[in-house]
Amino acid sequence: MTRSIPPSAAVAPVSDTPDANAACRDRASGVSDTYTAGRPRLTRSVIVNAIGLLLFVLVPAIAQATGESFLVNLMTRFVIYAIAAVSLDLILGYGAMVSFGHAAFFGLGGYVIGIAAFHVNQGETLFGWSGSNAALVMWPLAIAVAALAGLVVGFLSLRTTGVQFIMITLAFGQMLYFILVGLMVYGGDDGLSIDARNTLPGLNLNDPTTFYYVCLALMTVWIIVCRRIVNSPFGMALQSIKQNPRRSIGLGLAPLRYRLTAFVLSAAGTGLAGALWANYALFVSPDMSAWQKSGELMAMVILGGMGSIFGPVLGVAVYLGLEQVATGWTEHWMLILGPVLVLVVLFGKRGVYGWLAGGKQ
Amino acid sequence: MTSPKLEIRGLQKSFGAVHATQGVDLAVRPGELHALIGPNGAGKTTLLSQISGEILPDAGSIWLDGADITRMPAHRRPAAGLARSFQISQLYPDFTAEDNVAMAVQAHSPGGFNLWRNARRMARLREPARDALERVGLAGRASVRVSALAHGEKRQLELAMALSLDASVLLLDEPMAGMGAEESQRMTALLQTLKGRYAILLVEHDMDAVFALADRVTVLVYGKTIFTGTPDEVRRHPDVRAAYLGEED
Repeated sequence: MTRSIPPSAAVAPVSDTPDANAACRDRASGVSDTYTAGRPRLTRSVIVNAIGLLLFVLVPAIAQATGESFLVNLMTRFVIYAIAAVSLDLILGYGAMVSFGHAAFFGLGGYVIGIAAFHVNQGETLFGWSGSNAALVMWPLAIAVAALAGLVVGFLSLRTTGVQFIMITLAFGQMLYFILVGLMVYGGDDGLSIDARNTLPGLNLNDPTTFYYVCLALMTVWIIVCRRIVNSPFGMALQSIKQNPRRSIGLGLAPLRYRLTAFVLSAAGTGLAGALWANYALFVSPDMSAWQKSGELMAMVILGGMGSIFGPVLGVAVYLGLEQVATGWTEHWMLILGPVLVLVVLFGKRGVYGWLAGGKQ
Repeated sequence: MTSPKLEIRGLQKSFGAVHATQGVDLAVRPGELHALIGPNGAGKTTLLSQISGEILPDAGSIWLDGADITRMPAHRRPAAGLARSFQISQLYPDFTAEDNVAMAVQAHSPGGFNLWRNARRMARLREPARDALERVGLAGRASVRVSALAHGEKRQLELAMALSLDASVLLLDEPMAGMGAEESQRMTALLQTLKGRYAILLVEHDMDAVFALADRVTVLVYGKTIFTGTPDEVRRHPDVRAAYLGEED
């Protein structure tokens, strides 16, 4: 937790020299960012993050060494969901915006890829556009479409807070779900198969390992961007509005601007995850934007630890890992997830990541 | 006579059958410390909330520097020069004391929508914040999280945030609320240093502080102003004694 006072600062001897005092103050004021710190310190969260990244990087090697080739595919799913979960944490953990319709942006990102691929395949045009297979065109397009949808949904629903906000985002999510079900051209209820992954110059995305590394790189970049955002003046304002909106208005901040911007950023990141998922699964269906998916994303964020950006990555690992293991025992694996989620919510408010990385209470 | 910094004309506000504000007129002159006193339930906080824009009045008008701000949205009023502190501390419990004040600095400085720079390393946010903490005597507590601060310290922080807004008018809602005698004296001394530099509307129950600090006092009873005058006049006024001070004599 880089927002917290690092343990080293708590025990730092108070020196009388001005230089040392400045350094002390610098550290004590919570100035630490894993990615921007001039002199990285070995706090627990830094160690946990480094080990996590190392494990992610080593996955293909481990898969090859053990002959468990399914591992690469499983971890690709982890990474894609992690991008969505990190995006959700941006508004859930830092803005207390409980979006119960976030899967809509996941589905939207996926369908942008699916629909374009459909038209390329059929040789038909869509509004005069013949579609594209280039990742450098399609992924930004998926992000842009999700962001635009986020702008509209956010603008309408951020007039409310609390339960009303949950209900209105749920309604928007379900609206998109039924629109997708109704799109018979694109498979309706059955979904839409995609022939091939998007193309990136110089890389073969059809190779599972290459695709995994591309997803991992995007996840890493997105996490860095999100960390910067939450520690920026914008991020501080967002957190201030979460903690005490009355005071923030009293200081002269207009909450809607900050909350809406965060909502759009979150939708954009979730849209990217949806686009990657469409590429991974080579299939999109309305289920991608069903409310159950929104609930899953939320469970991942809460399991991992809200308000840390890193936590949700761990939450995804725990959630999907548990699913992987428990479905081997019983098809009612939710029976196991349920109690785990209850325990985490009751006893570890900062989730699995908070338990591992320590820091702020 | 100089034109008032802050002026309230015929302000009215009802909540159902409760007439919280009944035609209040009040003027705060430049550099004046104007105290607003009155028994519990007199409508002092309601009046302050209307001036700060949290509550819209039913009738009447509010003027700041000669401009009508009656309907200006609450979040624009700090930039117009109006800063408020709250009776019950309205702070950010998960932030450090310095973070809290830095938010006040950030709120009125450009670049609040910067998404990339580390806010905790921006000297132009942090240095004024540290200065304000120093002014209210909290310099040594800058890196303590607000949830760990003592009550009196929260009141000091509340004031530091109001001061950091670069406003010309301060609305202070019971800055001494819940403070011990010694803390109250320190806060009185602190407010003394602000006199003349701001136009201050001070709501306070601590009469020692009011009579020590105020240039003029307005007495509010059941949503009506019954008297405005110097502290000495207020002390002598029979209606005021009956309505308010009587119980203390």
